[in-house]
Amino acid sequence: MAGLAKCARSLLSAPGVTRCILPRLSAAGLVNYRHNAKQLHSCTVSSQILSLMIPDIQQSFVRTYSGKPPLTIKMVEERVLLVLRLYDKIDPYKLTVESHFMKDLGLDSLDQIEIVMAMEDEFGFEIPDSDADRLMTPKDIVQYVCDKEDVYD
Amino acid sequence: MSYLQTKVLSHAQRVRKLYKEALREIYAHYHERAHVRYWCVMLRAKFDEHKNEPDMRKAKQLLLEGERKLQENRHPFPFKFPHSPGGVAYGRHPPTPDWILDTWHPLEKAQYPEYFARRDVRKREFIERWEKKYGKSEDTHHH
Repeated sequence: MAGLAKCARSLLSAPGVTRCILPRLSAAGLVNYRHNAKQLHSCTVSSQILSLMIPDIQQSFVRTYSGKPPLTIKMVEERVLLVLRLYDKIDPYKLTVESHFMKDLGLDSLDQIEIVMAMEDEFGFEIPDSDADRLMTPKDIVQYVCDKEDVYD
Repeated sequence: MSYLQTKVLSHAQRVRKLYKEALREIYAHYHERAHVRYWCVMLRAKFDEHKNEPDMRKAKQLLLEGERKLQENRHPFPFKFPHSPGGVAYGRHPPTPDWILDTWHPLEKAQYPEYFARRDVRKREFIERWEKKYGKSEDTHHH
């Protein structure tokens, strides 16, 4: 934090930097402090700091108010398949939307539990056990997630 | 409602439930990915060790032992998903009951003609199914 303050002070004294953008700059610096900490400590020239920070300002001032970007069925399907392809017990070349976890992919019930938990982490809501028992194909999972997130068409 | 357990769970269902909860416990206790994976693999090995246990009594005993261990090692503040019971946003958006739409004024309904046309068809089908299963309803004072 001290390093940041020093940078801000050096910015204040630097000519050509108007005072009106400084509060915003420092706020963005606080938000991105952790990401830029190393770069900030190592660089001394204020123009370098500016060039580091300016692209971040625009990113950090987008407010989503804890909302999520809107989902579509295609996006849900892509995310489900991506999670499944990255699961080490599934052969990504055999995987299709219709393939049954136990019959086609040769997984057992505990693997299916792990898959359901990966889906919970991916989409951010809990899938109760009674529903999880029925999710046996990627298609079922897509349908379930769409029902829960109110995604249609 | 699917959070409420209304049926007796079978042995296999209880084992699966135990496995899931034990995995979540590991996620709660360890934060580094490598540690989490290590204990997950150990847990899986423990379950796989007795995968084909022919003796049902021993299987039951193992299950009870596992459940006891799980309860003993519960994390004081485990992660809960926001909208599941115990989560920070549980019950924040209560679902509106469907009959509310029946109380709308026809002029209001006319603003969404396509939706309400479809809804009427579905409602008729639902009532038909209901009457086929439970017989005619005598109560006429419904919404």
